[in-house]
Amino acid sequence: MEVTKENVHKLLVGINRYNPENLTVLHSYVEQQASERTYDVEANLAVLKLYQFNPSLFQLNIVSIILMKALTNLPSNDFSLCRCLMVESHEEDEQISRIYYLGELLETCNFVTFWEELAQNKDLSSKVNGFEESIRDFICYVLNITYQTIDAPLVAKLLGGLNENELTKIIDAKGWQRVDNNKIFLTNHDLSSDSKNMSFKFEIENLASIMNSS
Amino acid sequence: MAGQEQGYYTAAEEFVGAQFDSLLPSFNTGSDYDGGIIDEYEDQSTVVNQTYGVPDAVRNFVRSLYRAFTERRIDEMQMLCEAGFIKLTERLFSKCSWPDADRIAPIVNNDEIFLIFYKELYFRHVYDKLQPSLEQRFESYYNYCNLFNYVLSAKAPVRLELPHQWLWNIIDEFIYQFQSFSHYRYKLKHKQESDLAMLRDHPKVWNVHGVLNVLHSFVEKSQINNQLNAYNNGDDPKSVADEFGRCPLYKMLGYFSLIGLLRLHSLLGDYYQAIKVLENVQLNKKSLYAVVPACQVTTYYYVGFAYLMMRRYQDAIRSLSNILLYIQRTKQIFQNKSYQYDQIAKKELQMYALLAMACIMCPCRIDESVLSMLGEKYDKEKFIKLQHGNLSQFEDSFAYACPKFVSPVVPDYEALSQSQHKAPYQFQLKNFVNEVKQQVAIPIIRSYLKLYTTMPVAKLAAFLDMDEDNFRAQLLSFKHKMNNLVWMKGQRALEGEFQTSSGVSFYIDEDMIHIADCKVVPRYGEFFLQQIRKYNELVKGLS
Repeated sequence: MEVTKENVHKLLVGINRYNPENLTVLHSYVEQQASERTYDVEANLAVLKLYQFNPSLFQLNIVSIILMKALTNLPSNDFSLCRCLMVESHEEDEQISRIYYLGELLETCNFVTFWEELAQNKDLSSKVNGFEESIRDFICYVLNITYQTIDAPLVAKLLGGLNENELTKIIDAKGWQRVDNNKIFLTNHDLSSDSKNMSFKFEIENLASIMNSS
Repeated sequence: MAGQEQGYYTAAEEFVGAQFDSLLPSFNTGSDYDGGIIDEYEDQSTVVNQTYGVPDAVRNFVRSLYRAFTERRIDEMQMLCEAGFIKLTERLFSKCSWPDADRIAPIVNNDEIFLIFYKELYFRHVYDKLQPSLEQRFESYYNYCNLFNYVLSAKAPVRLELPHQWLWNIIDEFIYQFQSFSHYRYKLKHKQESDLAMLRDHPKVWNVHGVLNVLHSFVEKSQINNQLNAYNNGDDPKSVADEFGRCPLYKMLGYFSLIGLLRLHSLLGDYYQAIKVLENVQLNKKSLYAVVPACQVTTYYYVGFAYLMMRRYQDAIRSLSNILLYIQRTKQIFQNKSYQYDQIAKKELQMYALLAMACIMCPCRIDESVLSMLGEKYDKEKFIKLQHGNLSQFEDSFAYACPKFVSPVVPDYEALSQSQHKAPYQFQLKNFVNEVKQQVAIPIIRSYLKLYTTMPVAKLAAFLDMDEDNFRAQLLSFKHKMNNLVWMKGQRALEGEFQTSSGVSFYIDEDMIHIADCKVVPRYGEFFLQQIRKYNELVKGLS
């Protein structure tokens, strides 16, 4: 059977979702996501669930890919959802522990330490195509919601020690602007709409129900 | 943006108003009618009939129930099951089981189908008041198999009608007994060799796949998802259902099985799937299916919990507030049905604990009455400890409020260790506490930010006794953690948009933090709307 998203999701309907014989197809699907830079959280959670029901069928490589892929989908918290489905004895594996540590660093936004750790864990990042790119996307997203203007060298450091060219590529891709003093302008943060000094807002529906009854 | 509120007060009011409409009329009468069984035979209750060894009161009860059952008189069955059964249990069976099915079989013409339902009540009572033995656990399981086979394998819808409450109780108890069995087999103590042999020889009994199969079968047979979908689109659900789907017995069993799946997935730590099974259920609107209060309470408890574990704090707060307001308002009705109320009271307290934790993780506006009830029902000292990031308080409250997680796997009976039955709970606790730890600095940073409109990064770092790099990472993490999925009107339960919900807005410009001016203006508009609505209700009631 061809391993496509459609075919895979047909397997996950109703009680068939718990059929361990689906694992062959699901394994291929997970590996496909890793190489083709696609992502399917439902299918991946289904795999973890099958391992939860059948711990002997556990495959370290597949779980590692699933966890690494979950990290690429930050800021969604797929990673913690995956962790809740793990089997405790499997967590003792040192490869899983290393991935957990990377996850911890990303969630607490210790990006500099993250890149240092990743450099020593090339075996993990090589499992997933475009891993570093996805993480950079996440970091840029967090910077975007936090900073208006930021030091260019700081950005380069947080994104994993980029050189000038690489940094310029990112700036262009994200629609940022270089400004003087070696800084980057990310996006305009307007706090006036967030100020709680605003007058009350209603939803029209609420008003309508009052008007109707009077 | 932070200013976009969802009008929590009005949303909760809408929800409660809608649920009120759906409550069965019997709840409003507050009567004590129990089919007249107990009062008539008051004097003879202790006379044990020599022939059958069954007390007269019980014989009359069973006879009445059987009559109502065969004549499909739902209201009477409801009264008997609630008041009659409870009263007889209190008087005669508080320490022993009801008469075996064999002994009452002659009273009901050996009607096998009725006996299956009687046994369901029998075992439910055993689990409630006594300690079931392993044999009883097995027997109850086989009884459920008979019951479900009878209903599901029929070529045409079975000619049965049962009260919704009873149908809900069947599904609810089925999952409860599965949960109980899963814990039981992991407990090391007091296992006789004969018990161990029985467990080893019958791995399929109370197997998780069996339970899942039943629930999924009901969902499919009743086409409940298609029906809900049609209902949401404003079409008639009957138009998409076949004869099984149109039959109320199957339809309600299908709906209750969805809630059963929500609960089962939560017990196994699969929060995504738990919310997913409800994708066609409109959680915030009036529902045709919201007729059993215990079912509503269970639904929103598990929904609230799943959202909490998914880090969707605003959604958790909204779900929990809605149902807590509902319980508060319907308390008078429940008082008369003390049996119902007991079941709900414990869940209510658990939900206040969950609400407290969710509010700490994500401060936002809550409905005024829910907030004041929270102050009463959740210990103030504990709340203060949560506010200070006291991890052991988080652990304690989580332990109190969380579902009793289970493992779906058959244990290795040779290698059971002490308290291994607690392992699934400790695992989920660990994950929750991990999340709390990652966010522990946020409330402190928030309280500092609220004091200023601008502040240099370096200075605030110094106040907090952190080095600047570390502090910048904390600020990034603050923003990341406080940006979560929030359900928007019209979406399915799993969907949502990323929204910030931190109680304070800020951004960093080079080396300066800029903070939104957070003067909170009293919400006069909403207050007026609320009072106008209450007044209208009052006037309507008077006229």
